[in-house]
Amino acid sequence: MIRRFLFGMMAVLLIAASASAAEPVPFTVNSLAKIKAQYAGRPFILNLWSVNECSYCIAELTLLGKLAKKQKRLPLVLVATDSPGFAPAMQKTLGPLGLAGVDSWVFDDPIPERLRHAIDPSWYGELPRTYLYDARHQRETIVGVLSEQRLRAWLKKHKLAN
Amino acid sequence: MNKDIFALLLAASLVPAAAVAMDHSVMPHPAKVALAVGATLDGNGRIWLAKVENQQLWVSWSNDDGQRFSRPVAVALEPEDIGASAENRPKIAVAQDGTVLLSWSQSLPKRFTGNIRFARSIDGGRSFSVPITLNDDGRIGSHSFDSLAIDGAGRVAVVWLDGRDRDAAREKDAAFAGSSVYFAQSLDNGAHFSPNRKLTEHTCECCRTSLAWTAEGPIALWRNLYGTNTRDFALANLGTGKVRRATDDEWQIDACPHHGGGLAVDGHDALHLVWFTQGKTRQGLFYKRIAGGRESSPMALGDPAAQAGHATVAAAGSMVLITWREFDGRVYVARAMHSTDGGASWSAPLRLAESGGAADYPLPLTDGKQALVVWNSATEGVRILPLDVGNAK
Repeated sequence: MIRRFLFGMMAVLLIAASASAAEPVPFTVNSLAKIKAQYAGRPFILNLWSVNECSYCIAELTLLGKLAKKQKRLPLVLVATDSPGFAPAMQKTLGPLGLAGVDSWVFDDPIPERLRHAIDPSWYGELPRTYLYDARHQRETIVGVLSEQRLRAWLKKHKLAN
Repeated sequence: MNKDIFALLLAASLVPAAAVAMDHSVMPHPAKVALAVGATLDGNGRIWLAKVENQQLWVSWSNDDGQRFSRPVAVALEPEDIGASAENRPKIAVAQDGTVLLSWSQSLPKRFTGNIRFARSIDGGRSFSVPITLNDDGRIGSHSFDSLAIDGAGRVAVVWLDGRDRDAAREKDAAFAGSSVYFAQSLDNGAHFSPNRKLTEHTCECCRTSLAWTAEGPIALWRNLYGTNTRDFALANLGTGKVRRATDDEWQIDACPHHGGGLAVDGHDALHLVWFTQGKTRQGLFYKRIAGGRESSPMALGDPAAQAGHATVAAAGSMVLITWREFDGRVYVARAMHSTDGGASWSAPLRLAESGGAADYPLPLTDGKQALVVWNSATEGVRILPLDVGNAK
């Protein structure tokens, strides 16, 4: 009986752990430099989204989530333009999309323009927005929804496809 | 706004905290900083302010150009999640007989759903009617970005972005691009509203709408969808329903700009438009005037290097006043420029005030004689900034 109960508890804990993502890291003016240092000499995808104000972002994250399931080494960095108060909502959104284990950040500045400027001075806040960084950290900008075709081509080019 | 009065009122209000049932199937709504205010000038030069605090809409007024405000009155008894950040703000208007009218967008727990709400006061803002929901489709769906306009003599119009057509299409597994614009009208200063009517389908989903009352009735401005994803602006008279393209920027983007346009009508029935675009034709913040079938060429506003954005326009008599916000790398700056000849010539852009923290977009107010800018920020609170406009015609 006790064993059954413990099994049940463990199952519940496992499901909870797999369904909800890790807490997002606060993104400040220096965060992009840290991310780039982390991916030094390696390509990565910087995806900007919002949990609260962007229906297109959810569609795009669904695509990224599908890819992340097949592609364990997907070098994906998610940055939400909400605020740290939205962390639980973000975790609840990312978990079921298969993005629980992804490197996740959230804007943490009363002046989001400051963070937008640190990422790209020509960005006024339109979402979603994606930057594809190559190994030398030259980047391509995708304004609006990222197409699966373009993403797959990029992964192939950078020898990241399975 | 007098913060002490707010604090006292909040402390003194003995409304028991409603037991919030945690429903884990819905999105939690963290308290967002509700800095976006609504403001208007009435026929007696009084400034009216609608401000959200603690999920309540508070209304107050000032007789002395904003130096002192009356004790804020809560519009509703029940708290609700009122849109008051970024391009969402409560709207307030005062009719000639003193009726105070309010509309706002309420967020519901399910993501991207909400209601368009309305309430009014017929005793000079001392008490308010129980808020009603204007969207009459009975769906838990997307209803947002309301705009309110009145003719002053009893006619009222409220427009908003409405997801009911998209939802209906999806239920039949059909594709539906964008959202729709719906509206409701009243002939008795908001005592009764007509059933909802559809103005148009296939609009952008995430930018504010705007509404102005002309000699030919209410005219709406919104970011429309042309072709697959060209997000330029459209205008339509609610009475005729005839939609015309208002901008030719060719902004093709499969995304949410979160950045709309504004519309005002002056005393000579000329329309004044402000809008944001990153289109092929032009990029940035722009103004133009439409009068007697003629349009001025778009005039660029603000410093693009300072992310100039979210302009609003107000007009009365021959006065036109435009405000917008910039970030200079250090602080937010409220900017304004005005015209005393109906938009033919313009003052240099003024740097009105700054704020080093979270801030609303500045709002222009004019009655044709004076020009004021209302700007709320987390640190400084609501500031009423008068402009020296000389002897306006």
